[in-house]
Amino acid sequence: MRRAVAIALAAVALGASAVGAYRLVPSPAASPAHWREIAWPFPRDGWPAGRAFRCEGGACDGAELYVRAKRGFCNCDSGVADDDEVDRVADIDLIAPRFAAMAPGEAVALGRMRGRARRYDLARSGGVSQGAIGIAISRRCDLFVAAAQGTGDASAMQHAALAFLDTQEMKTWATAALDGY
Amino acid sequence: MFRCVLTAAALVLFAGSPVVHAQKQTIGAPPEASNMKLVGTNDLQARSAYQPTIHHQGDRWIAYIGHHGGTDNVPAPVNPMTGNAEPNGTSIVDVTDPAHPKYLRHLPGQEGKYESGGAQMVRVCDGRTLPKGDPNAVYMLRTFGSEAHEIWNVADPANPALITRIGGLKDTHKSWWECDTGIAFLVSGAPDWRTRRMTQIYDLSDPAHPQKIRDFGLPGQEPGSTGAVPTELHGPISTGPAGNRVYFGYGTNKGGILQIVDREKLLTGAKEPTPDNLRFPEISRLPMSAFNGAHTTFPMLDMPIAEFAEDKDGKTRDIVMIVDEAILNECGEARQMVWFADVTTETRPMMISSYTVPEASGQFCQRGGRFGSHSSNESMAPVYYRKMAFIAFFNAGVRALDIRDPYRPKEVGYFIPAITSATDKRCIPVEGGERCKVAIQTNNVETDERGYIYIVDRANTGLHILELTGAARAAAGLPKN
Repeated sequence: MRRAVAIALAAVALGASAVGAYRLVPSPAASPAHWREIAWPFPRDGWPAGRAFRCEGGACDGAELYVRAKRGFCNCDSGVADDDEVDRVADIDLIAPRFAAMAPGEAVALGRMRGRARRYDLARSGGVSQGAIGIAISRRCDLFVAAAQGTGDASAMQHAALAFLDTQEMKTWATAALDGY
Repeated sequence: MFRCVLTAAALVLFAGSPVVHAQKQTIGAPPEASNMKLVGTNDLQARSAYQPTIHHQGDRWIAYIGHHGGTDNVPAPVNPMTGNAEPNGTSIVDVTDPAHPKYLRHLPGQEGKYESGGAQMVRVCDGRTLPKGDPNAVYMLRTFGSEAHEIWNVADPANPALITRIGGLKDTHKSWWECDTGIAFLVSGAPDWRTRRMTQIYDLSDPAHPQKIRDFGLPGQEPGSTGAVPTELHGPISTGPAGNRVYFGYGTNKGGILQIVDREKLLTGAKEPTPDNLRFPEISRLPMSAFNGAHTTFPMLDMPIAEFAEDKDGKTRDIVMIVDEAILNECGEARQMVWFADVTTETRPMMISSYTVPEASGQFCQRGGRFGSHSSNESMAPVYYRKMAFIAFFNAGVRALDIRDPYRPKEVGYFIPAITSATDKRCIPVEGGERCKVAIQTNNVETDERGYIYIVDRANTGLHILELTGAARAAAGLPKN
């Protein structure tokens, strides 16, 4: 009997420790996302190249984010007024020429800059679909745009991308890029 | 001490040198000119100007000038004729005596600043040339900010009367109106299209009763489409039923496209904006570098080329002059300039030459404001057509090009107006703030059948009426003045 109790206690203790060990290994969703800079992957077009990042860990693990300034935008007063504007300017077409919006976009802000974000379904070769986020915000006559793609949850990817863009480092860089430096 | 004196002397000499003078315009300094001469001027009530259209109206010559919206500092300048603050709209100026232009009327436009207000575009047709127009009327088609197109009877240019309005739009821009047929290619923002600017084609042969023909644009811009959205329209120019072509320019300073369209197929083809129906009237496209846009696409067909005169084929060429628009101040973008495309073989158009003002000739990147091209004259009157082109080049003023050989366009004259107290500043961001400079911003240019050249300023300096002199006048075949 004492032996049986000891075995049972040991089993419970081991089980608990196994659970503890499992919890010590962070799940991708629970660990903080880290955006590691990678090379700008697109050929030269009308605007100067921006910066590209790959998400490691967190809910956006594996997603890629592309950001750049687009200086010179005729809607100086109205800014990014509607979802069509996001379709046109947010660089989703760099990732794939064929894409479709999944839903109406939403208003977003980075510091004092206002704009919109929208989720897309990318039509990739082989019929594989992939999610993407387009973000376009304006400062007077200039745009700051971001596009993200990944296979994970689109909502989590958008949240992580906006959180990264809202860091002081990225806000400082965005300001400099919009100033033309 | 000796070194200090030398330094001071060098600074004085440097400050007085032409290089520094060229970099900064000052009020009271003379205009800079070569083979072009100022005839007359009007301040246009210090309103930022876009399209001038000069119309021979009875025994008078009237200039109709579209304006952008107001500025941050002065959203609605005071009209000294009424004493009222009025949103920028259309200036109507009697230029019968070009040395003494007489301001007749300011017709207010949409409230709003810069490109968000005003009444930028204007075209004029006589009622007697429109198939169903009132022969006693003169019709002015203008934009009303971003929300509408309007037609006014300007038979009495000092007292225009509104005839009709085509509204409900999200944008407008550089429309074209055929005065002999009444067909109008209106640059509009139809609310359900995915692009800010596309074409709405109307029959305005009876201006009181506009008849919609169809909407047109590039596949991918139409309602319900998905994927990448092609570059938005800037403006079309039609050669009418005789030429049966419409040349559409897409883009401003990026991703330009020249699209050549069969006018008859455009007007009579299936109207539903499906990708197939939008492609049906297209003959070809000439995609430009992503660095450049197509603000103006000006056709000059059947040009005899002296260099090719002895060739068995190809003695004459169909040419389209494409003018980009500079957008950013102080050279903050790739150079926007002028391109010549040979479209003789229509399905294989090809760029053959280009033109830009040499930056170093005036240190234009340091002067302030925009440097680069914006627009050309669009008059096809014989006085200059296929011989001379005039290019608005922002802080480099207007440039006269001898284009008789479009394979080798050659600048033969220029005029950079002096700034005035009305000239507005242009700023660029610098760390922690802005740095502003004041410079002329020649925005648009038009010519009349008499050979006068009309330039207007985006930075509120007004209207300057010019004429050619010297070698430029000779190149145009005009008598000595």
